[in-house]
Amino acid sequence: MILRSLGNLFMALSAVMLALPIVVVCGAALNSGRSMFFPPRDPTLVRFHEFFVSEPVWVEALTNSMIIAFGSAALAVLIAWPVAYGLWARGDKASKFLAGLGSMPFALPPIVFGVGLGFLWTFLGVLGSIWAGVVSHAALFLALPIVTISIGLQSIEKSHLDAAATMGATRAVAFRTVILPQTIPYTVSGFFFALVLSFNEFIVMFFVSASSYSTVTLQIFNSLRNGYTPTMAVAAITFIFVSVVVFSAVARWGDLPRLMGAEPTKS
Amino acid sequence: MSVVSEPSSAVPQMAAAAAAKRLPLARIGIWAVTLFLCLTPFLLVIAISFGQKIEGASWEWAFSFANYQRVFVGANWPEEFTALYLQKLYYSLYYAVIASVLAVITAFPFTYLMTGLSKRAQSAWLVFILSSLSLSEVFIVMGWDVLLSNRSGLPMVFKATGLTQWLKDVGWFETLRDWGLANPRDVKFKTSVFATVLTMAYLVWPYAVILLYPPLSRLDRSMTEAARTMGAGPWTVMRTVVLPAVRLPLMGSVLLLFVFLLGVYVAVTVFAEPAKQTMAVSVYEAVRGNTLNAPFGSAQAVILLLTAGLFLALGQWLTRRNAS
Amino acid sequence: MNGLQLSGIYKDFGSVRAVENVNLDFAEGELTALLGPSGCGKTTLLRMIAGLEMPSGGSINLGGNNITGLAAHKRRFGMVFQNFALFPHLTVRENVVYSLVISGTSKSDAIATGERLLDLVQLSGYGDRRIGELSGGQRQRVAIARALAQEPEVFLLDEPMSALDAKLREDMQVELRLLQQRLGITTIVVTHDQREAMTMADKIVVMSQGRVEQVGSPQEIYHQPENAFVADFIGKANFFDGVVEGGKIRVGDALLELKTPAGFLGGSPVKIACRPETPYLDTEGVAGSRLKAKVTFVRDVGPVRDIHLETEIGPMVVEYARGETDRSFSIGQDTTVTLPVEGLHVFPRTGQEAA
Repeated sequence: MILRSLGNLFMALSAVMLALPIVVVCGAALNSGRSMFFPPRDPTLVRFHEFFVSEPVWVEALTNSMIIAFGSAALAVLIAWPVAYGLWARGDKASKFLAGLGSMPFALPPIVFGVGLGFLWTFLGVLGSIWAGVVSHAALFLALPIVTISIGLQSIEKSHLDAAATMGATRAVAFRTVILPQTIPYTVSGFFFALVLSFNEFIVMFFVSASSYSTVTLQIFNSLRNGYTPTMAVAAITFIFVSVVVFSAVARWGDLPRLMGAEPTKS
Repeated sequence: MSVVSEPSSAVPQMAAAAAAKRLPLARIGIWAVTLFLCLTPFLLVIAISFGQKIEGASWEWAFSFANYQRVFVGANWPEEFTALYLQKLYYSLYYAVIASVLAVITAFPFTYLMTGLSKRAQSAWLVFILSSLSLSEVFIVMGWDVLLSNRSGLPMVFKATGLTQWLKDVGWFETLRDWGLANPRDVKFKTSVFATVLTMAYLVWPYAVILLYPPLSRLDRSMTEAARTMGAGPWTVMRTVVLPAVRLPLMGSVLLLFVFLLGVYVAVTVFAEPAKQTMAVSVYEAVRGNTLNAPFGSAQAVILLLTAGLFLALGQWLTRRNAS
Repeated sequence: MNGLQLSGIYKDFGSVRAVENVNLDFAEGELTALLGPSGCGKTTLLRMIAGLEMPSGGSINLGGNNITGLAAHKRRFGMVFQNFALFPHLTVRENVVYSLVISGTSKSDAIATGERLLDLVQLSGYGDRRIGELSGGQRQRVAIARALAQEPEVFLLDEPMSALDAKLREDMQVELRLLQQRLGITTIVVTHDQREAMTMADKIVVMSQGRVEQVGSPQEIYHQPENAFVADFIGKANFFDGVVEGGKIRVGDALLELKTPAGFLGGSPVKIACRPETPYLDTEGVAGSRLKAKVTFVRDVGPVRDIHLETEIGPMVVEYARGETDRSFSIGQDTTVTLPVEGLHVFPRTGQEAA
């Protein structure tokens, strides 16, 4: 009994610790002045208007962030599908190697990958183009849809494919009617994981943007020298909000514990 | 009785064989794209690390080890030996080791408790953890910076609540000063090793939970229950059943987080003292900052890469050794 | 010749031969059960018939056409899988009409057929349910309806009852058999449950270690087992090792009489099987071998009573149906047991053969 309360206390304490800096930043967004204070002075929502509508710097940064996040997540899913499918269907050394290669940028220090991408885009003469940014993030977060789609494919019982075959389904039909529908939740989850992480990524984007455009995280970092402003905190709130909404959606329509590696529940 | 159990399906393999015959181009394409995007950047870094800077802000191809020499023994060696960059590497490792161990030690009991909850509660916690995990380094640093800043954060709270005065009364204030956590009058957390490590541990804490979640949620609870019926108390169960079962994932998590932390940039620039900056910061400075020496930055990046690779390989080796 | 014929079928997985030289005829409209312990190759054989597994050798003929190399999706064989393999992302109706939809049947036809099939398996009104909402028995009915949708040439069932609880199983066996007889469809059922096989099948194929041990009607299999494996696997039997001696069998000090002299050379080692319901206890005037025995245990389980004995040729169980005798037996009691001449089955005994 004592042990259980101790456990609950520890979990609560962890939650508070985890939330602490986030709460502080969120609170600071309500300041009316140009400086950041916590607790906020003279609370107002004007800073939200600035971030989303009136200040071109932030609006443009937000637009760039969204283009890169959506574009790179979609691209990552497109590349990840054949990689994950090959891994599942073939399972040979070559497909394992390919999947490992695709996961490498995510597993190694991102600063190294960022530096390398900077060189690559310089050679190709597209450094600073926003599309180079999209492709860069697709490569960086390729590992995420590879993993979720692989989990989805593994969840397909082989007997379902046998059943489809005995009912007259060719491989192509079975793919369309059995494999694809059952892996859609996992594909969507992979897309959203890549989306949210791309939205928040800083260091790789710093190297590949080469200061010719900025995303919200880059803009925040650039503003660090001039001290914090409540508008930056608004950006933080927006980002946290997006993450919570996305992951809640994944939890609602997908099996989040399963995606995170828990044993599948027996039906 | 024959050793053949119910045979697994041959359908996916057959599908694959047919697909390979039908679409060799698609296969070549996906290989080309993956190799180009995921391997060439690393190869370029390695190639350029052997290049040399030329006057201005440019560099040229070369095959010299000068950049590596500069990292390990200084540019003017053998006349003069400087360990400036070795020191940066040392701090990279130092922060990363402490922060990753700290994160795993605190995340382990949390995750263990979490996996005991209902599936719904687990989902809710996971949403919270994932949201925190995905939150940008810049926001996290911003939050901690506000919290730890001398003007508005915890030091002021310490002062206002009289904690600072109490620390002075019991004499622990001097200890804090020795640790660099206080100036003559107030406690201060910026800049310090403490703040750097704290923020770094915070950064990877959600990752630690996510990494420990699969092994802990797959842990057979009947095993711990069996131990309980044999008279083991909760701590004995933890020590004799749970910990041995997850020893490997624990070590694996530390290694992965360590590798992740090697590349942390924002937290170190903001919280670490100028003399205790890391190699990641130095890479940044060389490639994009004041010094503009891409080959030298690349050499340092390669050293980071090798360090990361070394520790990842160590993790692999540990896993394999344990499996056999 | 409209049935299904297997000739010389075998299957290797690596260096292991899972199915060995199987020759079988499945007559049109008959229900055949492939019966054997797990790992005996019966499922592999069924999967080869379905086209899900390619035989390493031999041929499969359907109505005189060789279909050995034909892919599963071209065979039009309906199959019910062990765990039913229903598609969780489709409704009950969508599962049932899957084969029709992918073959391009018009939507109205598919819906009509779907309703008819759901009606057939007594699930009308369940069409819009999701698979997850169904009980085990209902899932099985959906799986059956789905397999029948394409009006299959051959209907295959892989352990169809194994996911059901014991009570439901007995009911479904009868129901499935009646349905099969009504449709008159050639059917092959894989099972490890001899009761299930005997309930449903016209013909039973007993398999062991990849080989066919015996083919016959349920009654033939039970009453005239061709070898010790079948005698042991189907029903219960008491086994004794003996040696042929002048048309009789010597077991220890006893010499057992047979109905017809065994067709073995004198001195051949043999194995004798005796079903527990055939011996008589403490009875005179029966043609057979009378042995001294002592009661060691009595098990009274409602409809039958098992009396365990220690006889001069070894332990034995005798089974009495309720009402067959009102005599009571108590542990330690001395008695006699008579093994009637027609109740003994003699098989050659080879060294490695297990019983």
